[in-house]
Amino acid sequence: MSDYKTIPKKIKEQRKFYAITFTVIALLYIIATIQTKFNPFDFFFKMGNFFDFLLNELLPPNFELSGGLGLISLVMQNIGMSIIPTFFGGIIAFCLSFLTSYSTAPNRVIAIILRGLASFQRNLPSAIWLMILVMAFGIGTTVGVLALTINTIGYLLRGFADVLDEVGKESMEAIDSVGARYLPKLFQCVIPAALPGFISWLLYAIEINILSSTVIGAVGGGGIGMIMMSHWKLFRFRTSFGIILALAVTVIVVNSLTDYLRKRVIR
Amino acid sequence: MINSSIYSNDAILSVKGLKKYYGATKAVDDVDFDIKPGEIVSIIGRSGAGKSTVMRCINRLVLRDEGSITFEGMEITNKMSPKQLREARSRIGFIFQNYNLVYRLTVFQNVMHGRLGYMSTLDGVLGRYSEEDKMKAYNIIETLGLNEQLYQRAADLSGGQKQRVAIARALMQEPSLLMCDEPIASLDPVTSRTIMELIVSQARERGIACLINLHQVDFAKEYSTRIIGMRDGKLVFDGSSAILTDDMISYIYKGDDNRLGNQSVDMQISNKPVEEYNIV
Repeated sequence: MSDYKTIPKKIKEQRKFYAITFTVIALLYIIATIQTKFNPFDFFFKMGNFFDFLLNELLPPNFELSGGLGLISLVMQNIGMSIIPTFFGGIIAFCLSFLTSYSTAPNRVIAIILRGLASFQRNLPSAIWLMILVMAFGIGTTVGVLALTINTIGYLLRGFADVLDEVGKESMEAIDSVGARYLPKLFQCVIPAALPGFISWLLYAIEINILSSTVIGAVGGGGIGMIMMSHWKLFRFRTSFGIILALAVTVIVVNSLTDYLRKRVIR
Repeated sequence: MINSSIYSNDAILSVKGLKKYYGATKAVDDVDFDIKPGEIVSIIGRSGAGKSTVMRCINRLVLRDEGSITFEGMEITNKMSPKQLREARSRIGFIFQNYNLVYRLTVFQNVMHGRLGYMSTLDGVLGRYSEEDKMKAYNIIETLGLNEQLYQRAADLSGGQKQRVAIARALMQEPSLLMCDEPIASLDPVTSRTIMELIVSQARERGIACLINLHQVDFAKEYSTRIIGMRDGKLVFDGSSAILTDDMISYIYKGDDNRLGNQSVDMQISNKPVEEYNIV
């Protein structure tokens, strides 16, 4: 005790660990800045340009789209583009998840393979799938929906499998011990227990897909993203900004709806 | 229904030379015992003595390493067909310490699960239980005093009620053997007594043989016709409660031979470590 003027809150090793960690992070930041030639002060120097663009080019937003679909129907299309992939991706992920979760998989090798595929797929952004699919099917909503579906299967499969892993091994043991067959066990025990988790993941998928369908659209997947991008390219920034604001409202509304549903389902 | 004329003289369950290892640990080490129809047998022993593993080997929730198990004349092997295994399991009720219900489902649905072992895949998947079975379930639920909770979710029940649902589920199987793995370890003393009385009275009434893992020696003495003592995976006592001496009890429950008999039995039992039941 006599070594210290005050009683230390942490032991010496721990403080050393924090100091090293902090130094490493600071070094990484400096290296990254040099590498990318990113100048953090650029933002302040060019702030004038930014506000100039914001005030003169983007504002006020234009909500009236000339020709083609109106804003409301575009937003509806956007929601549709997130629901369809969630629906199909959900069905496929649902079926595959029982083969993927270690607690329900009849075959461990298949489970490992599916798990690997889902993880690999989850780390591929849907835009990559879109680029590949556009080569085969051309630009349009179909390709966008397809890319989103593939992506959705990836993370829903992983999510569903995790939900199944967490279904009590105990209740499954009980159903095994009454001599039930495999499928009745799934339908009478596993699925009822996993249902809230599944629904929660599906709602999450809708949230994600609303956002990614926009990004997907912007790079050729059709829908609201594509319309927004085409206005942007024609320097109709006010119209683009109107679409962006409509999107933001959609996302907020949909998210609060899914939040509400989630709370209702999980109790 | 068991055909009592076939089994009345023979053991309904026969365990011979049962061994189960977890790595170098001998969880069950050469255990032999028989259970006759209608017998109520308690297995006592410390946590980790192998009581639970013995039970799980019998209905093959755990695969054994050595030995033979015969249930209703059918050899339970590690290589039996899934169909045979299901048949054997459907005749053995199993009650768990943690009730092991499907908590999002209602009491009635949970009780009906007891029939799944007798149903085709399609009927099981769709939950198409016969009216006769449903009536039977209702009667059992009423007998166990749960009719007011019939359509309540199992999650909303108290511990004692949950265990009664588990008993009802096991009775729906119309088993000839009921295995209870620490059925009252998660319950308060008053509820424990109610549950023990229900298990034993229902088993007697229906002519079901019972094998019960217990921590509480007093309960074991009170409710069973025979007691099996296990220690470090070995069977060290098998007989009626009348011949279960205090010395024997302290031997069963004592981890350390050196201190055998130095303390009063009650002290030793109440001081026994309440470890989690993971190892076995």
